[in-house]
Amino acid sequence: MAQPSEIQIQVNDHVSMALLVAGEGEPVIYLHGAGGLFWDPYLDQLSNQFKVYAPFMPGVGNSTGLETIRDIWGLVLTYYDLFDALEIDAANIVGHSMGGMIGCELAATDPSRVKRLLPIAPAGLFDLENPMGDIFAMLPEELAQRIILDTDSEIAKAMFAMPDDMDEKVAMVITQISTLNAAAKFLWPLPDKGLKDRLYRIKAPTTIIWGKQDGLIPVEYAEVFRSKIAHADLQLVDQASHTVQLEQLGTCLELTLQFLTADNLTQVA
Amino acid sequence: MKFVSFNLMSYRDLPADFEQKHDSVWVTPPKTLYDPRIGHDTYHDYIDALEYSIDLGYDAVGVNEHHSNAYGLMPSPNLLGSILSRKIRHSDTTSLIVLGNSLALYNPPIRVAEEFAMLDVLTGGKFIAGFPVGTSMDTNYVYGINPSELRERYYEAHDLIMKAWTTDEVFTWNGKYNQLRYVNTWPRVAQDPHPPVWIPGGGSIETYDFSLKNNYSFSYLSYFGHKYAKKVMGPFWQRAEELGLDDNPYRAGYCQLVCVSETDESAEKEYAEHAMYFFAKCMHIDPRLVEAPGYRTVASLKAGLRSQLDGSAKFGSQLAGEGLGWKDFIERGYIIAGSPDTVAEKLKEAAEELHVGNIILINQVGSMPRELLMKNLQMFAEEVMPKLQDTWPEWDSSDYWPSGFADSYSTPDDQANKQEA
Repeated sequence: MAQPSEIQIQVNDHVSMALLVAGEGEPVIYLHGAGGLFWDPYLDQLSNQFKVYAPFMPGVGNSTGLETIRDIWGLVLTYYDLFDALEIDAANIVGHSMGGMIGCELAATDPSRVKRLLPIAPAGLFDLENPMGDIFAMLPEELAQRIILDTDSEIAKAMFAMPDDMDEKVAMVITQISTLNAAAKFLWPLPDKGLKDRLYRIKAPTTIIWGKQDGLIPVEYAEVFRSKIAHADLQLVDQASHTVQLEQLGTCLELTLQFLTADNLTQVA
Repeated sequence: MKFVSFNLMSYRDLPADFEQKHDSVWVTPPKTLYDPRIGHDTYHDYIDALEYSIDLGYDAVGVNEHHSNAYGLMPSPNLLGSILSRKIRHSDTTSLIVLGNSLALYNPPIRVAEEFAMLDVLTGGKFIAGFPVGTSMDTNYVYGINPSELRERYYEAHDLIMKAWTTDEVFTWNGKYNQLRYVNTWPRVAQDPHPPVWIPGGGSIETYDFSLKNNYSFSYLSYFGHKYAKKVMGPFWQRAEELGLDDNPYRAGYCQLVCVSETDESAEKEYAEHAMYFFAKCMHIDPRLVEAPGYRTVASLKAGLRSQLDGSAKFGSQLAGEGLGWKDFIERGYIIAGSPDTVAEKLKEAAEELHVGNIILINQVGSMPRELLMKNLQMFAEEVMPKLQDTWPEWDSSDYWPSGFADSYSTPDDQANKQEA
């Protein structure tokens, strides 16, 4: 696997963001989920064809300034500031889970800033009849069962590995808690912050990827996203839960590359 | 030394298999386990006990706030406080302490300024205001406050309440979480400049500084007694020294379960089952709901995570589940129990070791019935308290205890003069 480099950008007067960067070519911005950012095989392979920018959300990793961001709107403006700093007018966005939700917000708030949108099992909706699980009230083993079909797989083991050394363990748990705290800022107590009423504004060509056996955000939510986003294509991937892009790496990469390289995409007028 | 007769108002009639059948005493305990007829008697027994504590001459009677909680049945402690104020107003010795209102949960927070001012006036200036952040279960899980905002909301609410209490003019508040064009809380507080403030906490680093810098009294509220409290009070006094402050014991208090009987043996006979009820049932808390991410700051996490990860910090029901019983509770200091001499001796030793002036007594332990509660209160007040009251004779408690009605209040004429000047 290629080693991404970590860069630090002061995006405005109150937020400094750390990004993992790798690859050459057209830029793709990857927005991570509530569990944090890890350079995984999906990102690694994506960087074979694109220049991948993967920012740590404010409050996660070396990205600072979470406390200066009041709400989703403030977060959206922060990402536009990041686009400006990277000199990207209209971004290709891939976002997983909470990152997918942020991607949708970015595409809905100022449609001109998003060129293509690829949400993977995005958060942002809540159905009382079919509620998504509460990630803030789960034991680690319960979370594992919710987000990955085969909890004995190498991917699962890598995701939930704990170091033996106590100092490393303490440091890791603090990182996990800080990451979840940043996510909670935008997902607590329910992830529905009104996105449903804004989805109609998205004009970017959109492909939604969802694991058919998603144990965290029910696959039924996918249809809501598809129906409310004007030009959206929905791809359900079998034998995959919430970590679909790692569980079905080949299929998801193929769908991703197809979507990001298609040249006949037209923006909705 | 001063003594608070404190009551959590626990439900005494949880089923014997509660902790086996249900995940938690807090946040998710099935409401169907609560029988309002039993609850009616329970509330009135506890109110009777607090009123009796006033007769017995405790320095204060105390109530607190919890939500969706079967061991703490006071979602609104101010309601109970208002009942108690009727008797406290006639008392020469006893104050009311609400320990307290979780500030971030009140919208707008001037509600606390108003209700606490009502209690201050109702009691005749014999009121102590408790300002807890509140537990994560109460604030984040039950009341839905975003954990990343909880402490900011708490500090903003505190500043707003303090300004409301100490400002005579109508003022405007433009905060991050509260915008109020006209702040002018009535009634004004009875004490000058405001009721003493106590900060109950679980020992987060930030709380030490907040208490010390504002000259509030810090109360360490854990149910695990004096030996455990040492871990918190040690760093607290160290911080006081670093800040160049004196070590007035009334700057701090701690919470202690206490059971008094004629002899050490009869204490075990009378209280053991109720102590077991407390630790096995009332402390049966779902680990999923103990702490939202961000509830503790990184600094506090660094200080406390190790003991959680290596398994040395455990919940009450885990302890009970491991077969711990009365003798372990005594040995570990969770409970101070026995004859009046035994209790007095141990409590004095504990208070001196912790260097605290305020003892918050949990005399109602778990399922204790009315008669036993009254006996516990009486024996402590008559046979233990007199032995300990002069423990800190050289220290002045008046910064941290109520002072009654202020001698004088500013008048409209003062206002006019001030404006002319």
